[in-house]
Amino acid sequence: MKKIFKAISSLALTAMLACSVIGAVGCGGSTTSDVDEEGNTVIKIAFHVDKESAEGKAYAKRISAFNTAYKDQKIKASASYIARSAGATDYETTLINQQNSNKLADIITFDAPNCASYAQSKLIYDISNIVPSSVKSDFITVNEYQGKLYGLPIQESSAGFFYNKALFAQAGIDASGYTAENPWTFAQFKEVCGKLKSAGITPVDMRMDATQDEMATYLLYPFIYAAGGSFVSEDGYTATGYFNSQESKKGFQFLKDLVTEGYTSYAIGATDFFTGSVGMYLSSGWTIPDIDSKYTSTFPDRNSWGLLPYPQDVQKASATGSWSYAITNNHHKDKSKIKELLLWMVTPESSKVITDATGMIPARRSVETNYEAGSPEDVLMKQLQSTGVQRPVTVGYPAFSSNFRSVIYGLGDNDLTTLLNARANDIQDRLDVLASRN
Amino acid sequence: MLWLITGIVAAALFAALMAVVIKDIVVAKKKKVRYGVRESVSAYLLLAPATILALIFVMLPIVYSLGYAFTDYYLLEPDYMQFIGFENFIKIFESIGKQGMIYHAIINTLKFVVGVVPLQIGLALGLALFVNNKRKGTGIFKVCYFAPVVISLTITAQLWLQILSPSETGLLNSILGWFGVPPQDFIRNEEGAIWWIVLLSAWQGCGYQMLIFLSGLSNIRQDLYEAASLDGANKWQQFLHITVPALRSTFLFIVITVFVGASRVMVQPMLMTDEKPHTITISYWMYLEGYRYREVGYSAAMALLMTIVMGAITLVQRTVLREKD
Repeated sequence: MKKIFKAISSLALTAMLACSVIGAVGCGGSTTSDVDEEGNTVIKIAFHVDKESAEGKAYAKRISAFNTAYKDQKIKASASYIARSAGATDYETTLINQQNSNKLADIITFDAPNCASYAQSKLIYDISNIVPSSVKSDFITVNEYQGKLYGLPIQESSAGFFYNKALFAQAGIDASGYTAENPWTFAQFKEVCGKLKSAGITPVDMRMDATQDEMATYLLYPFIYAAGGSFVSEDGYTATGYFNSQESKKGFQFLKDLVTEGYTSYAIGATDFFTGSVGMYLSSGWTIPDIDSKYTSTFPDRNSWGLLPYPQDVQKASATGSWSYAITNNHHKDKSKIKELLLWMVTPESSKVITDATGMIPARRSVETNYEAGSPEDVLMKQLQSTGVQRPVTVGYPAFSSNFRSVIYGLGDNDLTTLLNARANDIQDRLDVLASRN
Repeated sequence: MLWLITGIVAAALFAALMAVVIKDIVVAKKKKVRYGVRESVSAYLLLAPATILALIFVMLPIVYSLGYAFTDYYLLEPDYMQFIGFENFIKIFESIGKQGMIYHAIINTLKFVVGVVPLQIGLALGLALFVNNKRKGTGIFKVCYFAPVVISLTITAQLWLQILSPSETGLLNSILGWFGVPPQDFIRNEEGAIWWIVLLSAWQGCGYQMLIFLSGLSNIRQDLYEAASLDGANKWQQFLHITVPALRSTFLFIVITVFVGASRVMVQPMLMTDEKPHTITISYWMYLEGYRYREVGYSAAMALLMTIVMGAITLVQRTVLREKD
């Protein structure tokens, strides 16, 4: 009897141990308090960067300033930093896990192309009625889906053609007339490439090899818009007839011609432009500090290199896009105090602090930039304001992006029509599945 | 809802564990074995933390995955998950029929397995035979051959991307350039890319199997070789009639582990080409479906099918290679 009692006691102990472990995991379902011990309403905000990075420190600085400014109103911001150790998917997975365990922050940062899918899935909140129109109109771009506002950009980016002035001079090219306001044409672009090639210089690194991640999509999609093409219908659910339209094909054909005519290739080394063997290099603003600091033997000063805008065909188009803020559809139903933090994080002052840390372009027009006229930063800023076009807004963005990259990857060796039709059908299959969920 | 399911599954698994404990106690009492109930319960108590963690982190995900395979779970909308029966499986077979990406993933995975299993095992055995002697300096070779195993796959993939760079300055192209061969785009080549990934993987993984073979080789009695030598057997005959039979169980283990590892290849194509028809593999496609395209249900269905196929093949391998008693 005594032994049986002991056995039952031991079993009970085991059960308690098991339950405590399972309980520790299972307790994730409860929500954390929205009010701290001092009676402050706590607004949680999640950032996609490491806290110790320059960008993370800039966010922390603005959060600290917010807490000081709103101390009397009993509103307190609490920031979490989710470093993207394995890319943007890693960050997204964390957000989804938080949503499933009812722990999603009140404000999140998100990569702009995800706006449609996040909005469609109600992960993020419609802020159309929260953001004053004067604020909204001050942004160069905003994140909208089906006519509603869902996100405000943290900062902006644009890309262009960095060029080696010495090599241009060697090829007898004067590029001074091509400005952000008056971009060059597809034909003029090819003409410049032709002159460089004739001078024995590899004309341009179009980053055709950057198809392992979003880079190729980000840098090359404007060519399709410039040729009059598009990728999906306005509602974002139809790709066939858009992705493979005649106009889109014309844009892709231009890129293909650059390969087949020997103006660019998939084999250009990552540093070939920086070591002085390639005339032009398509990249974003983040290349500016690299050229200034790392490649001084090829580019000793800013007179040795310049930045040219995207070429135009039937219309002007240039790359835009960065991360944005959004209010989430979490358990916190009263969004009035969350609004305060959102609007604080996008004030011109916040924008200045953050862009000073990242070197990117401010998302708001009213932010003073002090860019020298004609400087690379000035070219990017003006181009962004006058010709910036967002990547397609569609719930099937991941399918669009990977298929776009597949087209770029296969441009050199495949029949373009066949390639575009196959990729358009693949995107359409994905969009059909997503549409069936509505 | 998700937590309710977790709770039910966890409770069921825990109840199963408790049943095993109780059964063990009853059997022990009936058979009047030497160890008592207290020892038995203590043993299970000691095992409990590991068992519970295994249940949570191994069994639960498997059970979840099984369940998800029959749902339309979309990663961003877990609350709208619905039971859809065999629809995901039908879609998979339809996609194979239409020669969609899953078709390419299957073909590439087959190519990878067919290439990497014999190559990696052959390399491992060759290296093991080479370093399996008492000559001076073989320790250095062992370290060299094993080094790639401890290097992250991400780093080795990047290293090989540099070696195979299509640029004139790429290592392999530079060497080819000495012989007047124009630069080759090895990884974009639709026919050749998967075989480069096979080579990389075999190179990276063979050091580990080499150690296992070495362990097997050290267990073979030297007098067998001496006797064979006295009987006039040459080295090849000794290898064929002594080494190979003695390594049968080692072979079985290595073939199964290399086969299973090869069937799950994902990191190399992910890092070297991203999602491309000529290098996509089943595991990578499952990952893409689940995370990039957020179709968790569909991805889970693929995982279930793959588990069944792999299990069946492993059983066949075990039967064919099983050591005769």
